[in-house]
Amino acid sequence: MNVVLTPVMIGQVIISGILAGALYAMVALGLALIFGVMRVINIAHGPLLMLGAYGTYFLWQATGVNPYLTLPVTMAALFVLGVLLQRALVFRVVDAPELSSLLLTFGVSIALVNLAQLAFTSDLRAVEFLTASFRLGPFAFSKSRLVAFAVAAAITAGAFVFLQSTRLGKAIRATSQSREVAMVCGIDVQRIHLLTFGLASALAAAGGTLIAVIVAIQPEMGQIWTFKSFLVIVLGGAGNYPGALVGGLLLGLVEQLASLFLTTQLSEAVAYVLLVVVLLIRPSGLLGGRQT
Amino acid sequence: MAFLAVEGVRKSFGGVAAVNGVSFALEAGRIYGLIGPNGSGKTTLFNCITGLERLDAGRVTFKGERIDRLRPYRIANRGIGRTFQVIRVFPELTALENLLVVTRGPRVDAERRGRELLELVKLERLAGEYAGNLSYGQQKLVEFVRVLMTDPALILLDEPAAGVNRTLLNDLLAAVARLRDQGRTILLVEHDMKVVMGLCEMVFVLDHGEKIAEGPPGLIQADERVIEAYFGR
Amino acid sequence: MSARRPMVLVLIAVGLAALAAYPTVGTGYGVRAMLQLFMWIALAGSWNLVSGLTGYVSFGHVAFFGIGSYATAILITRAAWPWLPASLAGGVAAAVLALVIGYPCLRLKGPYFAIAMLGLNEVLRVLVSYFEGLTGGGLGLSLPTLQATLPIYYVMGATAAAVTLLTYLILTSRFGLRLMTIREDEIAAEALGIDTFRHKLSALLLSAVGPGIVGGLAARDQGYIEPISVFPLATTITMIVMVLFGGKGTVWGPVLGAAVLFVFQEAVWARFIYLHQLLFGAIIIAVVLLMPRGVLGLLQLKYRLPRTI
Repeated sequence: MNVVLTPVMIGQVIISGILAGALYAMVALGLALIFGVMRVINIAHGPLLMLGAYGTYFLWQATGVNPYLTLPVTMAALFVLGVLLQRALVFRVVDAPELSSLLLTFGVSIALVNLAQLAFTSDLRAVEFLTASFRLGPFAFSKSRLVAFAVAAAITAGAFVFLQSTRLGKAIRATSQSREVAMVCGIDVQRIHLLTFGLASALAAAGGTLIAVIVAIQPEMGQIWTFKSFLVIVLGGAGNYPGALVGGLLLGLVEQLASLFLTTQLSEAVAYVLLVVVLLIRPSGLLGGRQT
Repeated sequence: MAFLAVEGVRKSFGGVAAVNGVSFALEAGRIYGLIGPNGSGKTTLFNCITGLERLDAGRVTFKGERIDRLRPYRIANRGIGRTFQVIRVFPELTALENLLVVTRGPRVDAERRGRELLELVKLERLAGEYAGNLSYGQQKLVEFVRVLMTDPALILLDEPAAGVNRTLLNDLLAAVARLRDQGRTILLVEHDMKVVMGLCEMVFVLDHGEKIAEGPPGLIQADERVIEAYFGR
Repeated sequence: MSARRPMVLVLIAVGLAALAAYPTVGTGYGVRAMLQLFMWIALAGSWNLVSGLTGYVSFGHVAFFGIGSYATAILITRAAWPWLPASLAGGVAAAVLALVIGYPCLRLKGPYFAIAMLGLNEVLRVLVSYFEGLTGGGLGLSLPTLQATLPIYYVMGATAAAVTLLTYLILTSRFGLRLMTIREDEIAAEALGIDTFRHKLSALLLSAVGPGIVGGLAARDQGYIEPISVFPLATTITMIVMVLFGGKGTVWGPVLGAAVLFVFQEAVWARFIYLHQLLFGAIIIAVVLLMPRGVLGLLQLKYRLPRTI
């Protein structure tokens, strides 16, 4: 493991880490929203992202349109799917023990992956677009990652503005603070739950669209994203949504740094070890010390 | 030396102090009351003593040993038992099994003792019933006698009277008095003033996480600050 | 209950005798199928020990199966151990892994533990591929050829029986009651003086040994292992589905679940192999929503049966 670190390498790692981090933050924000509002960990979050990626692939293939232009379509489609999932299944376990919601969304996750295998086969697919990279001084930028960063940052910022300053956004935050208080304030909590699941799924879809242009698409690409999103929330700490941003950047940086020393495969193990260590240091994790 | 000493205990959640520098001391073999308006920090204080919450500052000593850094089960094993404001029986275990979980030694003896305690609260016929199927009051009683199975020297009762009907209540209060007569110490949080005044020898009053009064029940009832905390503002 | 007990024991004895005699009459396919069924009973029963009793969901239980497979295969190929002690060593390896994983992860509250376990077998698969010298990496390990289906049948059956017996013993003990208090209300359990961490760790340890042994036996039986074949998420999913369907927290639930789903798998779904996971996903959803206690849990509640059914 003799790696000589040059300033350029470190700079490159920081840049790549930040680029990846925005994407992580956006996808993880979806998971954080559902957890914050309903106390449900949606294991199917990653598979929803996978569906978004396929959406982009097929739209791009069928119409030849710029894949980034499919973003509103995949987000809208997954928003609807998210609302339907909540409406049909998840709402039944919102107040049930955690075990139920974990297992239920796990079941949804398995079913989605298998459906994708049936419908799309397990072949690797790629959206060949913007494959080049350009150089700025000593640093190389993959164009697709750069666009992903910009779009993810914009969507994440938009989501924060929405949560912070619109009526609905405030209602979502109020519900995640205390459902009882939200109800007393006349907020239709059921509707907020639907909306939250829809929004979270749309965020996953956006992630899928952006990732589709970067890496190969296959039905099982999603699971790791559930895991990473969870890691991001935990890294960010507390149930506060801006934490996702911090966590995303942290994960991006750590992964890039690890890739300097380890094979790409092993750097996934790093993310895992990181999760366990962080959870141990902050056992309350995203609950942020609230108890009973 | 105090039996249980709480010194300068502080605990806040998200910047809001739930318990803010509370101190008091208990002597062995007496019944104490802890009262105060809703949200005054009574349950949080219980959680601090039993290790369910980590203190931000202060210390708790029990029989001369510091216990505030110990895991909850260790504190329990040193002889502090508690009940919860919101009932926490194990619903899918039977009433008797709820009592058996904490016992060691021969099972026959444990079962005999469990049945005796259930008899004490007139639940012996429901020993084999799942605790989740019992009525609210019955669950409360199961929780009460479950604590006794561990043979604790100090018992913290969080609103033992709430939701228990009148006849049972009298039995329950008599049982608490008997526990004291056996040399145990009891600290109870209670809303029913009649219960507190009739049973407790000494009362602590919390308001906004601070102790605002302490004394025998008769004096406390007349205390200006206490009246203000309950009825003023 | 005690009046019925001798009859139950006789029934069990007859069943075991029939299973022991089966290879003398069964076809080669039949024996292999039963061997598979034993494996699933042992796996499902083991998952039930930790997740069914303590409520801590292990989404990575196949990790113990995989580590058992590798430990056994390495001992057989590199150290020339006979397969039986090598498989038992697989159980030990799994127990060690359970300690290493459980020590940090079981300090986490339920959902965090579940997610941590979800990542576990991914990581193990990566590590196994990485340490090529020992494990053969992505190429896998080939074991020397050996015709041992019959002895493996018996050892696999004995493992399944042992896991079931262990479940019975635990469920009727106060140790088992304490494990259940963790599922029912962990905070109350702690406040009563139960060392919940130690209990969870013991449960995880006990639940790892079976899959470790079974993993070793399967490796010997297959004659070849590779990372993808011994760490598939699908195996964990199958264990979970079997236990949920049969009834978590009961003795015979995992056995029933394993039997029913295995028969279906062999008889019906083999023709729709691509629908497997979809069906499993649907079963999980249906059980969680409609029958959270599973078949036996439902009967147990309805007819007030002891949980040792």
